[in-house]
Amino acid sequence: MAGSATPNMRDRPRGLSTLVFRAALVAVLLGAIVGPLAGLVLWSVAERWHWPAMLPQQIGLKYWIRITQGDLLTALNRSVTIATVTTVAALVAAIPVSYGAARARLPLGPVLLMLFLLPQAFPQLPVFASATVLFYRWNLAGTFAGVVLIHMVGGLVYTVWTMTAVFRAIGEDVEEAAINLGASVTRTFFRISLPLAFPGVVASAILVFIYSLDEFTGTLLVGAPYVTTLPVYMYTASLGYELQIASVTALVLMVPGVLLLVLLERFLRAEYLAFFGRL
Amino acid sequence: MDVRVEGLIKRYGQVTALDGVSQTFPAGALTAVVGPSGCGKTTLLRCLAGFATPDRGQVWMGDRNVTHLPPQSRGAAMVFQSYALWPHMTVFENLAFALRLRKVPRRDIERRVRETLELVELDRVPDIERRRPRQLSGGQQQRVALARAIVVRPQVLLLDEPLSNLDAKIRHRVRVEIRALQRRTGITAIYVTHDQEEAMSIADMVVVMEGGRTAQAGRPEEVYAHPKSPFVAEFLGSTNVLAAVVDLDGRILASPGGTLIVRAEDIQLMPSGDIPPPGSAWADGEVVDVLFLGAGYRAYVRIGDEVVMADHRTSLPRGPVRMAILREKLFTFDRATPQSNR
Amino acid sequence: MNAARPVEQALWWLAAIPATMVIFVGFGLPLVQSVVASFTRDGVLTLANYELVYRLYRQDVVYTVQVAAAGLALTFGIGIPLSGYLRLHHSQTAEFLLKVPLFVPFVVVGHAMRIFLAPRGTLLVGLHALGLASPDTTLAISEGALGLSMALAWKHLALVVLLLMGAFRGVSEEYLEAARGFGAGTFRQIWAVLVPMAAPSIGLAVVLSLTSMLASFSIPLMMTKGSGPQMLMIDLYYRYGQHGDIGVASAIGVVSYLLAAGAAYYYLKGIAR
Repeated sequence: MAGSATPNMRDRPRGLSTLVFRAALVAVLLGAIVGPLAGLVLWSVAERWHWPAMLPQQIGLKYWIRITQGDLLTALNRSVTIATVTTVAALVAAIPVSYGAARARLPLGPVLLMLFLLPQAFPQLPVFASATVLFYRWNLAGTFAGVVLIHMVGGLVYTVWTMTAVFRAIGEDVEEAAINLGASVTRTFFRISLPLAFPGVVASAILVFIYSLDEFTGTLLVGAPYVTTLPVYMYTASLGYELQIASVTALVLMVPGVLLLVLLERFLRAEYLAFFGRL
Repeated sequence: MDVRVEGLIKRYGQVTALDGVSQTFPAGALTAVVGPSGCGKTTLLRCLAGFATPDRGQVWMGDRNVTHLPPQSRGAAMVFQSYALWPHMTVFENLAFALRLRKVPRRDIERRVRETLELVELDRVPDIERRRPRQLSGGQQQRVALARAIVVRPQVLLLDEPLSNLDAKIRHRVRVEIRALQRRTGITAIYVTHDQEEAMSIADMVVVMEGGRTAQAGRPEEVYAHPKSPFVAEFLGSTNVLAAVVDLDGRILASPGGTLIVRAEDIQLMPSGDIPPPGSAWADGEVVDVLFLGAGYRAYVRIGDEVVMADHRTSLPRGPVRMAILREKLFTFDRATPQSNR
Repeated sequence: MNAARPVEQALWWLAAIPATMVIFVGFGLPLVQSVVASFTRDGVLTLANYELVYRLYRQDVVYTVQVAAAGLALTFGIGIPLSGYLRLHHSQTAEFLLKVPLFVPFVVVGHAMRIFLAPRGTLLVGLHALGLASPDTTLAISEGALGLSMALAWKHLALVVLLLMGAFRGVSEEYLEAARGFGAGTFRQIWAVLVPMAAPSIGLAVVLSLTSMLASFSIPLMMTKGSGPQMLMIDLYYRYGQHGDIGVASAIGVVSYLLAAGAAYYYLKGIAR
């Protein structure tokens, strides 16, 4: 057969060229992904930095120390509190919807699912601007509750969709077996379905928590002027051209996300997101 | 072109899929590789195709060592269990894919696709070239899969459980067609299946595998008539395995030291007390159950602690019975050395 | 068990009310409200808001579409081959790295990219350190359309790769082996098998990214200075925040809805086909 004389290295799993290519790929990715973030680290410790020096002329923790005194800590605290409340609320509100939709007990389930996607698939700013006007009328603007509400609007899709997929993956026969053995429907749900869904619950909780932590648009509009979360704080700092303060804030803002990424990466499988394409 | 493997070893983590397989698959013949799931037959086929690289050992096609060649340079083509017909391509595109990769001129592609579809007798299906796999019946898809493999004119055709996705009725017909096609083209075919009946009816040679090794290889009739181990005997038919020996009078006696193998179809049932035919081994037992199988009946006979399947033309009442087996139909093995002592 | 009785159905609906109400109050109602507001000025039905949008912002509409299109091209030009390669040749490190931007907030991306791509930003410092740039070079990327689309692509790549990997993993290995058996290399396996078989998922990822880029707000807010063409959402924000002009702001919003709906329409049409 033609071509048999030249063994093709491409299909050999550990050919030298493959290894070189893969190493180059990882190096390029590393540069492209870590590069911009490395700039943040440099700026956060740069007390004096003039072009074209490779590194800041004077390095120090001056700006890092300032955060322990300033209102950055307050903003961080508020961000985490809001994210926690939003996550719990979004989980509790989502479970009946997801379970009902997954088991086809909820009429119009698929339509409802699309409804939750809307805030992520549609321009948020104009809607949130309009929501702020309404929230003023209801005395929700500038309040903790108002910000949680606006975070839930964008965050519910993560819990509802992820858990629908997870409940669907748990076969109905497992539940029927329990009911058949005399367990009540409620008991079956709490003792069988929910424990089996645990990884999915964790995955969706991570997604909402991070979404809430990072949420900027809604908070900027609805939260103003009293509720300042970390992203809003950072924006204000960068407005005053305080590059260092903004960089320190940016790094602090990344900590929870990176922590969760490292600790819980195994919960965030591509498989959980594949359902986005199947709808 | 002979296909030959020597001392193939393949491990996946802790699991040894192939544990030193050496086997020749004769040129122009259809060889069936058969065994229970997990016996290594699919891994063997993947090593032949080039989708898996053995940890040790060699794969030869004719006088070429192809162990480290990529699939397309081996002169072998594979038919997948699921057919793996690309759903977004038409039948024509599915067949033309490999030819385009080989830079076959456009006009030749059209001609070769047409010829190949004739070869698998799909040319009479209207508009076949422009249909997509989804629009074809299971049997037609199977033939397209076959056509896609042979359009590159391979010297070796590898088939991985090609009939397992078909209904029982169509399966028999397609089986005959695959056999006819293989005869017509004279291609060397290696056919993996878990179905011993399918293997024996289609193949020139049967290779029975067990636990990553070749248990026995030979012509179907030969392997069936002279199994070399209890495993082979048991795998190839409705077979009883008894821990027993035959004494000097021909009586079958329970004994943990011996293994007796007897096929359900070789057992003669008679009223207890009748004299067994000369040259028979025999035992007394009790019919505990009878199943109607269509062509005949299958009786379940309790002998001592064991229950033996025995085929019979007519139904039988439950109760005492005597069974007899011609000595030459009986395989005896020692537990220590699982070789036929006959 | 399967056919839910009316009482049970009603109970499920009841349980679904809180979540649905959140969306209704926080999104549905404001959405309707903004459409109404876009046609209202001083309590009178009018097209004046749109007239103003056309007069002041029509170039920004074009600019927004251009930036989003460039961002989309970058994201998928890199994302498709990358996801395909990683589907065929698994690499834990690369997959981990690609997930990082997923966890970097939009505002941080904007700020980091501003520092990175500034005329004398950290990218140039890095290039200079590697000997690839002289001390008197400047990069004018960060404030223009290119810098913006690069930042958008950087942030969106993670989710796109995750979505595409999921879709590509859904393509059974035998389809790829069948192609590999005929000698198809990595590129051809991606292009001839993975991409067409995962086309619906790719389409959805395109639409999601496109609408997100068209409506991007935090990244441009962090990156752009006062002058030159702006992204629509920046215009909207200043109209709303500084001028308190909810009518024109809403009209800009409706334009962005139409752009998003247009993208979704092409997607749905593609599915129906």
